[in-house]
Amino acid sequence: MQASSIQLELLVPEYLEKDKLVHSQVWNTRLHFRIGERIQIVAPSGSGKTSLVHMIYGLRKDFSGAVLCDGKPLKSFNPQELASWRKNRISVVFQDLRLFPDQTAERNIEVKRLLQPYHNVSKVTEMAKRLGVYEKLRQTAQTCSYGEQQRIAIIRALQQPFDFLLLDEPFSHLDDRNAERALSLIEEECTARGAAILMIDLQEVPLFKAERTLHL
Amino acid sequence: MTPNYSTISPFLNSTKSKWSRTLGYIGLCLGVVLLLCSVQMYMNVQQFISGKEIKKSGYDFVSVSKLITDQNMGKDNRFNAAEIQEIQSQPFITDAAPLISNEFRAQISAGNIIPFSTDLFLEAIQDDFIDSVTPSFQWRPGELHVPVILSADYLEMYNIFAPSQDLPQLSESSIGKVQLQLDCSGMYGSGRYSAGIVGLSSRISTILVPKSFLEWANQTYGGKKTEHAARVYIKTENISNPELVQFLQTKGYFVNKERTRSARIKVILQSFVSGLGIFSVIVILLSMMLFAFYLQLMIARSKDNLKLLQTLGYSPTWLSHMMSKRWIPVYAIIIVVACMITIALQYAFSLAFSYKESLSPFIAWPVVGVAAFLLIICIWFNSRLISRELNRL
Repeated sequence: MQASSIQLELLVPEYLEKDKLVHSQVWNTRLHFRIGERIQIVAPSGSGKTSLVHMIYGLRKDFSGAVLCDGKPLKSFNPQELASWRKNRISVVFQDLRLFPDQTAERNIEVKRLLQPYHNVSKVTEMAKRLGVYEKLRQTAQTCSYGEQQRIAIIRALQQPFDFLLLDEPFSHLDDRNAERALSLIEEECTARGAAILMIDLQEVPLFKAERTLHL
Repeated sequence: MTPNYSTISPFLNSTKSKWSRTLGYIGLCLGVVLLLCSVQMYMNVQQFISGKEIKKSGYDFVSVSKLITDQNMGKDNRFNAAEIQEIQSQPFITDAAPLISNEFRAQISAGNIIPFSTDLFLEAIQDDFIDSVTPSFQWRPGELHVPVILSADYLEMYNIFAPSQDLPQLSESSIGKVQLQLDCSGMYGSGRYSAGIVGLSSRISTILVPKSFLEWANQTYGGKKTEHAARVYIKTENISNPELVQFLQTKGYFVNKERTRSARIKVILQSFVSGLGIFSVIVILLSMMLFAFYLQLMIARSKDNLKLLQTLGYSPTWLSHMMSKRWIPVYAIIIVVACMITIALQYAFSLAFSYKESLSPFIAWPVVGVAAFLLIICIWFNSRLISRELNRL
């Protein structure tokens, strides 16, 4: 089954102050994200960027309104459906990365790749070389710098099939050159899958060619 | 390549609680051995006792007679109809039947093959009290052949004294071929019958003839209707029932002590084995609790990793299935080891008692059944526990 869309229906986090809703182009509105799209959502700190990512990924349920996946509310998914959603249809680079700190970078990537293999191991090696972390693959994640961990998290997110890729401040600890390389890899992978990108950041990412930019 | 347990095992923190796991293994193995042994011993006790005990359809049969003392010596110490009815009416007695005896002179001889002749007593009881009734154990007035059921003890005694009297020893199968002659005589006449042994009784120590013959012969040769009996056989579910013992003592009735003693021994042994069984169930429960603690500890320590695996797309059901499956060989090995220990113990037990009883050196099928049931229970318990703990994350 091919995912066609994610819809946000009058989504309002329970904790959000009402005055933040007034000028938002995301909260309390109706939005439709389709496969293949390039969307950028920008907002300052504390306006709920990470919350939005978690809501779309199915990690949070403390909101009113609905996140619809192919018309079905994400809140109604059972654990099995949610696992399938995450395994086949949506991938993410978390702001806090969520790597296993005491495991090697390689194992961090492999545990995701084996779940629903999209690439083979040689492709992982190629990606690691391209992003400059090949030498770090045998190191535990906790011994890598934050920038290296960010690149490992990006590589991990690209190991599965997906229709939507959520990126929560994915280049926050990367210099421009590394950010450019990473974005180029992400674009290639998403184009190959026909997938949509939802880039969520503090400000517009200069090299990212967004079709829509929304202010949270 | 699809993910399997080895994919997720590095994310499960189990290294620091190996001692409780090992203790769990030993405890479970010990508990299972105890349980299997107690089931096996229970069956051994059954085999031991039922080999000697004359138990038909789950009942005990025992002979009751009046105790002869200095005070009642010389009186008629037989049971009358009212006393027999009183015995029959007791709630702890399923049935009772008088063992009637001959009221005329009876002599038996074996013709020329085994040259002996002796006076003897004959007794009769209703057929359902006899443990070895054959279809030929019947008699109708006018018939000249009388079937006889002999006490197995009598054959044993005969074979002991036969060589010293230059008489041939007889096997159980050959005794039926011996043609006997029964002479009955009394105040009202006499008669000669051919007789043949149609069975051996382990329950009733006497020479039994069909009840129809003895009642007819008592009337015909003795001129008396059979009304009294020196012995009464009782049929009861439990010979050791305190109410029954109390009743017999109060009435001054005498019971074969050996029978009640073996029944008591059986009850004591079965109680002991049952106690051992209960103890082993407690040991198994404690071991499973230890396992439960170990699993809870492992899941609690790996909580963050397991949550992250779920965040990445691993379903709780799959994780639970993989973790549970991991334990199946462990439980299987423990139970197979316990079975092997039980087999070894049973073999040693059968050797130790081989001089007394022919005990099977193999474990009984119910023991294998209990082992299989335990394996299923362990796997189910483990699976439920892991599933519950993962859903709690």
